[in-house]
Amino acid sequence: MRTAAPPSGLGVARPARWLGRARGLWTQESVATLLASLVVGAAVLLPLFTLVVSSFRVLDALGFDTQWGLDNYRRLLADRIIRKAFLNTLVISAGATLLATALGVSLAWINARTNCPGRDRLEPFNLIPFFLSPFVGAIAWHNLAAPRTGLLNSAARDLFGIQTHVLNVDNLLGVIWVTGIFFTPLVYLFVVGSLRRMDPSLEDSARTTGAGLLRTTLTVTLPLVTPGILSGAIIVFVTSAGEFGVPFKLGAPYGWETLTTQIFSKAVGDDANHYMGATMSMALGVITALFVWIQQRVIAPREFTTVTGKGFRPNVIDLGGWKWVALAYNVAYILVAVLLPLGCLLVVSLHPVWEGRIIASDLTLWNYQKVLFFWRPDAIRTATNGVLNSFILAFTGASIAMALSLVVSYMIHRTRGAGARLLDLLCVIPIGFPGIVLAMGVLVTYIKTPIYATLWILLLGYITRFFPYGQRSVSAVMLAISEELDQSSRMAGASWLTTLRRVTIPLLKPGIFAGWVLLFIIFLRELSISIILYTSGTETLSVGVYYLANFENEPLTAALSIAQTVALLACVVVFRRVAGREALTA
Amino acid sequence: MDSRSAAPAYLVVDGLVKTFGADRAVDGVSLAVPRGRFLTLLGPSGCGKTTTLMSIAGLHRLDAGLIRVGDTVYTSVADGIFLPPEKRDIGMVFQSYAIWPHMTVAENVAYPLEIRKVDRAEIGDRVAEVLRLVGLAPMAEKLATQLSGGQQQRAALARAIVFRPRLLLFDEPLSNLDLKLREQMRVELKRIQREVGITSVYVTHDQAEALVMSDEIIVMSKGRVQQVGGPHDVYARPANRYVSDFIGVANLLDGHVVAVTAPGRGEIEVGPAETRVRLPCRLGAGVAAGATAVLSVRPENVAVVREPPAGPHLPGEVLQTVFLGNSLDCRVRWGAFEWKVLARPRERLHPGERVYLQPDPEHSLAVLP
Repeated sequence: MRTAAPPSGLGVARPARWLGRARGLWTQESVATLLASLVVGAAVLLPLFTLVVSSFRVLDALGFDTQWGLDNYRRLLADRIIRKAFLNTLVISAGATLLATALGVSLAWINARTNCPGRDRLEPFNLIPFFLSPFVGAIAWHNLAAPRTGLLNSAARDLFGIQTHVLNVDNLLGVIWVTGIFFTPLVYLFVVGSLRRMDPSLEDSARTTGAGLLRTTLTVTLPLVTPGILSGAIIVFVTSAGEFGVPFKLGAPYGWETLTTQIFSKAVGDDANHYMGATMSMALGVITALFVWIQQRVIAPREFTTVTGKGFRPNVIDLGGWKWVALAYNVAYILVAVLLPLGCLLVVSLHPVWEGRIIASDLTLWNYQKVLFFWRPDAIRTATNGVLNSFILAFTGASIAMALSLVVSYMIHRTRGAGARLLDLLCVIPIGFPGIVLAMGVLVTYIKTPIYATLWILLLGYITRFFPYGQRSVSAVMLAISEELDQSSRMAGASWLTTLRRVTIPLLKPGIFAGWVLLFIIFLRELSISIILYTSGTETLSVGVYYLANFENEPLTAALSIAQTVALLACVVVFRRVAGREALTA
Repeated sequence: MDSRSAAPAYLVVDGLVKTFGADRAVDGVSLAVPRGRFLTLLGPSGCGKTTTLMSIAGLHRLDAGLIRVGDTVYTSVADGIFLPPEKRDIGMVFQSYAIWPHMTVAENVAYPLEIRKVDRAEIGDRVAEVLRLVGLAPMAEKLATQLSGGQQQRAALARAIVFRPRLLLFDEPLSNLDLKLREQMRVELKRIQREVGITSVYVTHDQAEALVMSDEIIVMSKGRVQQVGGPHDVYARPANRYVSDFIGVANLLDGHVVAVTAPGRGEIEVGPAETRVRLPCRLGAGVAAGATAVLSVRPENVAVVREPPAGPHLPGEVLQTVFLGNSLDCRVRWGAFEWKVLARPRERLHPGERVYLQPDPEHSLAVLP
């Protein structure tokens, strides 16, 4: 520990300056962060790079050889089906955004600013759709409102004696409806966070100048919340454009293709053309990335909230008699978004065969046995594989992703320099690309490597796409921890690694655990990446649901869907307990 | 010179340079502290004192310079030597105390000993001993969040000295405490430092703190050292205008030295052409005949009389007086300059009165501009 260095000027041989500098660079900290940067850089940039390259390779007529060319891009603009798919995607995204924004803003306002009774109890239920699988939601709504076999339509026929159907969810409107309801929590979270963090004296000062409630809300509150609303709207737009499960169930089979379903058919369909798929992924990816970039760099920094140590008690508006209407509205949302579809799925899952109406005498739990009891010889392999594989992937994936997130967060927030900024950028990139786009990239990158057709390629896809969520969870806590807590550990004699282990990580535990549970949930319900990268034996839960929907029957599909939903809901309860109220408002 | 420079330097800092982008935060700072002494780096925000401290700790790398403690070189840019902070055997007390909230006070204090693999029984003894020294013995099993600011401060100090480091560094540790507690802790910290005898470097912007606690003060501004000296030297014999102005209150007048009457004494001419006057004064270090200089006179060293006195004096008009209990804080206008004068309450000065000011030649100092 004591290095005896002779005073300079005595003519004794000194180590060369560069050697000392090099030794200085080779510390525990720099090695770990360099490794993390390489891993993240490779994982994120490689698939995207291969996508770009593949998009310029054109498959010839026989489907064997490829050559460089711009034909893929020409086809993108010329092909009628693709043009239609692009239009449909735009319509769906716009419609879902409008619906989600209307619902999200109204629910957020009711919850954060009015005296709606029981609003604290209602909030967790408002957020449930955020955690569930929209694909399962689409299946549930199909069972509710399909023209012939929909539960609601049958009930309407029985009750009112109509011949045809009242609701039809198997079209673009149905896709918009389901997508909008499921992404409402995204807008809700942005707006409710904005409203809660707003300094009430901003509104109070307007009131003291004589402005009434309505004027204050319109001229002060609303403009201040606008960045939050815009952020939420953009995120919904982007997520809708990249959503695969809902249009796959309610759109494509009935003639409404979207960019995501087209990419899917180009990847694994009968006219498989990975290169065309890559080109389409590029188009979709560039659009979504651009919007996310706008949201991150232009809108989010304009948030008019101040983070002070003082807690705010925001103004609560007395709605008088209307508060019961607000309550009814909120309850209606929860009924329609959560209870109705899940209830329907449950009912369907208990029937041996589904024909559109409830037959109480036939109810049985046999479907659950077939999809869950993997030790039974008559269990459906694809479904039981799905359950096992998903839990394995979720557990391992979340753990690896959180370890990576920890090092990356540390590097972004505790070190200075270009490396930190580069890493910050690398962490935002995966969020800008839909799962299916990234999966295409992973597919074409690793198709000739040994990890192809194993669980490993799925793991790689999952972690690459979703680890930024874990990183944000950790960063949120890390920002609140003073750097001096780490520095004092170093001064006390602890190495960088010991400091990480004994001081930094224990203080970050809430963020780490919250991030882990969030990732576990996301991995358990994942569809877009799984459906591109799976193979026989490596099916996941959502792939199992898709298989059952295509090759088995409705009740079996419903049974597995309910099983998945129950698992997700259990995780949500854990998440609420661990993360606390403000955890998702990042 | 003074006795201090006779004692061999234990901490040596030579030619420190640290830049952040285009900003030269530390621009050639050198200092030397004998063993067991208490040095304060004093200056306003941005003067480079914290950067210097962090460089000694090893939490900042340098662009140029040498840092040595005893026989060990901690940083030498010329020779490519850099010892990481955890190997420097330095105790540090941070501004925010940095007490780890997930550990108890005893665990916080034991941490450095555990790192050094000290025997368990011995850890217990030493932690108890040092907690007794700082007055926190009853708090040993409490969590950091249960402690008040002052108590966290003491815990931070205990943690910094428990492993008997060679050097103790303080980064504005008292700035988050309220006034009464600050005054109390100043004395406490000094007492403890004296008792354990560890060489200490203390950073603050509060001059009262510096004057109370230090054996030696280094006044800094804009990354450079303005003066090195004991509290009395820095107060009574400031090296230049900056130090005069920063420490205490001073009347500062631009002028030039017209005569040298004896070693260290002379006459300085101050004031605009119409009211130029020659005042006898002492000459600061480096001030020669004919040189441009600044006359520095503390308010308590200016006599105020109602009749023109014998000897050089300045006619003025009282602008305002503030009764401070034991003194009268007056502003007296002389030409375009406003003198700050501390008079005795029994003089009963009132605004508008014509008075005559006579700075005490023994305590008027011509310093470098």
